[in-house]
Amino acid sequence: MNVVSLAARNVLRNRTRTILTVLGVAVAIVAFVLLRTVVTAWNVAVDYAAKDRVATRHKVSFVMTLPKRYIDTIRGVRGVRAATWANWFGARDPRNPDSFFANFAVDHRSYLDVFDEMQVPPADVAAWKADRRGAIVGDVLARSLGVRKGDRLTLEGTIFPGNWEFNIRGIYTATRRSVDRSQLIFHWDYLNESLPESRRDQIGWTVARIDDPSRAAEISRAIDRTFDSQDVQTLSMSERQLNNSFMAMFDTLLDALDIISIIILAILLLLLGNTIAMGVRERTNEYGVLRALGFLPRHVVTFIVGEAVVLGLIAGVAGIGLSYPVVEYGLGRFLEENMGGFFPYFRIEPTTTVAAMGLAVFLGVVASLVPAFRASRLTVTDALRRLD
Amino acid sequence: MVPIVYNLRSLAVRKTTTLATAGGVALVVFVFAAVLMLSEGVKRTLGRSGSDDIAIVLRDGSDAELSSGIEAPQIALITAPSEVKRRGGGAPDAAAEIVAVLSLDKVGTDGQSNAQIRGVPDDVMSFRPSVRLVAGRVPRPGADEAMIGNAIRGRFRGLDMGQSFEIRKNRNLTVVGVFEDGGSSYESEIWAGRDQVQSALGRGTVVSSVRVRLRSRDVFERYQRQLQSNRQLGVDVMRESDYYAKQSEGLSIFINALGILVAFFFSVGAVIGAMITMHASVANRSREIGTLRALGFKRWQILLCFLLESSILALVGGLLGAAASLSMALVRFPMVNFASWSEIVFTFEPTPGVIIASLVVAVLMGLVGGFLPAVRAARADVLSAIRA
Amino acid sequence: MSAEPIVKLSAVNKTYFRGSESIPVLDGLDFEVPDGAFQALMGPSGSGKSTLLHLIAGLDRPTKGSVQVAGKELSKMSDAELAAFRANHIGFIFQSYNLLPVLTAQENVELPLLLTKLGRGERKTRAQTALRVVGLEERMGHYPRQLSGGQEQRVAIARAIVNDPQILVADEPTGDLDRKSADDVLELLGRLNTELKKTIVMVTHDPAAAERATVTRHLNKGALQ
Repeated sequence: MNVVSLAARNVLRNRTRTILTVLGVAVAIVAFVLLRTVVTAWNVAVDYAAKDRVATRHKVSFVMTLPKRYIDTIRGVRGVRAATWANWFGARDPRNPDSFFANFAVDHRSYLDVFDEMQVPPADVAAWKADRRGAIVGDVLARSLGVRKGDRLTLEGTIFPGNWEFNIRGIYTATRRSVDRSQLIFHWDYLNESLPESRRDQIGWTVARIDDPSRAAEISRAIDRTFDSQDVQTLSMSERQLNNSFMAMFDTLLDALDIISIIILAILLLLLGNTIAMGVRERTNEYGVLRALGFLPRHVVTFIVGEAVVLGLIAGVAGIGLSYPVVEYGLGRFLEENMGGFFPYFRIEPTTTVAAMGLAVFLGVVASLVPAFRASRLTVTDALRRLD
Repeated sequence: MVPIVYNLRSLAVRKTTTLATAGGVALVVFVFAAVLMLSEGVKRTLGRSGSDDIAIVLRDGSDAELSSGIEAPQIALITAPSEVKRRGGGAPDAAAEIVAVLSLDKVGTDGQSNAQIRGVPDDVMSFRPSVRLVAGRVPRPGADEAMIGNAIRGRFRGLDMGQSFEIRKNRNLTVVGVFEDGGSSYESEIWAGRDQVQSALGRGTVVSSVRVRLRSRDVFERYQRQLQSNRQLGVDVMRESDYYAKQSEGLSIFINALGILVAFFFSVGAVIGAMITMHASVANRSREIGTLRALGFKRWQILLCFLLESSILALVGGLLGAAASLSMALVRFPMVNFASWSEIVFTFEPTPGVIIASLVVAVLMGLVGGFLPAVRAARADVLSAIRA
Repeated sequence: MSAEPIVKLSAVNKTYFRGSESIPVLDGLDFEVPDGAFQALMGPSGSGKSTLLHLIAGLDRPTKGSVQVAGKELSKMSDAELAAFRANHIGFIFQSYNLLPVLTAQENVELPLLLTKLGRGERKTRAQTALRVVGLEERMGHYPRQLSGGQEQRVAIARAIVNDPQILVADEPTGDLDRKSADDVLELLGRLNTELKKTIVMVTHDPAAAERATVTRHLNKGALQ
């Protein structure tokens, strides 16, 4: 027997209360892990962004286009190894107009060379390049659209009116977590040739692959300087910066999630604090007995804090054990398939697990400090008097 | 009936526990109320923007003003039908506008975000009489001037009285006025002369949408039929209120899903907290319960007594939480509208319905949490309760 | 008596304060217990006998006066010193046993030894020895709820003697027990007094218990009679 085992046994003493507390804290931890995972999963795009890519768009607005000749200029900038371009197409599936997925018209010659994390079998790439109406879709999107290689798919344009027919020539998978597996890409030429003369030869944005990732900022500035005297000016930034600025649009939402996370922790603290305070109150006479036997106030504090640590550990393990099935297999699957654009990889980060566990124990200790301090301050005779 | 005073004093005696539990409920109700208030705020902001005697005309197939384009000659055809209200001089009460998105530096961050810019006709104030200037003046026709909604004032670099922002190379618009529109989403927009916006963005004479005020809300169907049957025109006609409801759909679903998820986890936590407290309360008072039973109180009266006590406990928390949530009315919550990728500033709208719903939820949590302990109390045997 | 008394209280005053009201419990009390004695303290409730017991056991300090136990002056000691004193010199026996319900009989007895530097094996041996003295060695794996009241009190007595104190202080040790168990406990206390030479101070209401003691003293309104 030792102090720790005495603390552990006291935790198990009021079984109903311990089970309820563990359950309550576990639920709070699941909610906490869920919210933190929303934040980390959202940040995945930033964390895993390619370091050697620089994107360029219209300076004033992302909805405005660049002249196609800009791509040649960009390819000539020193440090740029390869460059490609794409246009936002914004079409939707007429069978399911409310479900959103990204679809781009891309330069079929160069796009997959720059975005090499999109993995397509070489034979399929060749077939796609050869077919003007060919399209490649992500595996997640293929599942939700119910299409396979060789199928025909009709999309309804919103920016570019009409029905657009595509042949699915390949399915891409991802080598990196940050890749949205719910995209559709097709030949830019197909779009361009369908447009009236006045709207032709416009590109949405370009993406350049550079030799030296550390020079991303420098090369971005070099590109923008090139077009400074032109009528249409550009804004270039590294992919990481681009993703960061996309995240910045949602910073209030992320702040809200942070605040809710903190409230969850406060609830957790109240739950643990309540249970510990109750246990301490019921056992005050025992602390009196211990003191009468010669134990010191600090021993009493150790007993109570020890109990809290044990309770926090049990609850933390239960919460994390519950989080994995709920977050990864329940919600994670759903979000990856339905909101792949935001959450391409919705999994619990190890750091989240460690943080949740640490917080459960830490908050247990914090919750026990006041009752422990109060119990240790009682005189022996006062504590003993609460005998009956 | 056991007098309520008994419950109130019992709660008062166990101060710490009562406060911890009520505090937990308060936090849950706070978050719950805040989510409901935000949901109300979204409804108000986007609902205010639309009225049902106004029809909005977009190009066929485009689901938002941003992706729509209508050629200038078509405007006259759209405003010609007799269902359209006339102004004094016989001109149609209508507004043809162009909408785009500007990327601007966000104040307080190093990122950019998007703001919607609307090129409006010179007589926009007579088409939208609810819009009211709170500072400065209306832009002079033909001048490179703009007015901005009150909600985005100061949120982006260049968006405040006397400041200016770039809309095209070497072409800045100066902010000369700030307007309000009862909290509608227009307050998150930049308004400038239509010709200025069209020329600066190189869009020729194309507009995004045409709004017409109808003679009455009842003639909408006739007007819609008339325009949509004209294949040459190729337009979609919607009630403005329906259009905004559809614009906010994604956002509403998102907020509600998040709210439901958070509310679910949180209420489970609060219910468990109430259960722990009531469980301990019943256990500590077995002697009292036995006495009450010995005095002749029936089992159902004991049950009711404890259910009442836990409801009061939860109601105290509910009142605290609801009161705290009122402070959210001061918070502005900018969110990216998924339909336009531009920011709209929402507020938290504390309606009586929200407060009542929060309190009802609090009491429900108390009842659910108190049920099992109350049953236990009611089932206690008189003799063993007294002996304990 | 030739030897120094093991307990010596001189001019002891103990006053409790409840708000602004002061309640004098002991007023100028002189009290001595010779080494090796078995003294019973009787008196109506509120007479100050528990307060006196607490002072002797080092659970409390006097408001005024001197308390000397086992050659130590307790009235000037700090809380920590008092705790160490209790651990080394006093064995305390409560009316309601006060065993920790989550510990077995042996673990309860072992509890005070956690304060010493003794190793695990040594602690166990000593606890078992103490349990043998009270005749409960075959119950050492039982939890308090599995024991009768008399057995619980004997475990509590084993806990009181496990660190070999000179003085045992008992507060109504037979108050919660039936006659038979009470007699067993008193018999045990008598043996501890005669065989192990423990000095015993016992507060009791029970005349039969008082009879076991070598001396019975009566306390009334804070004064010896």
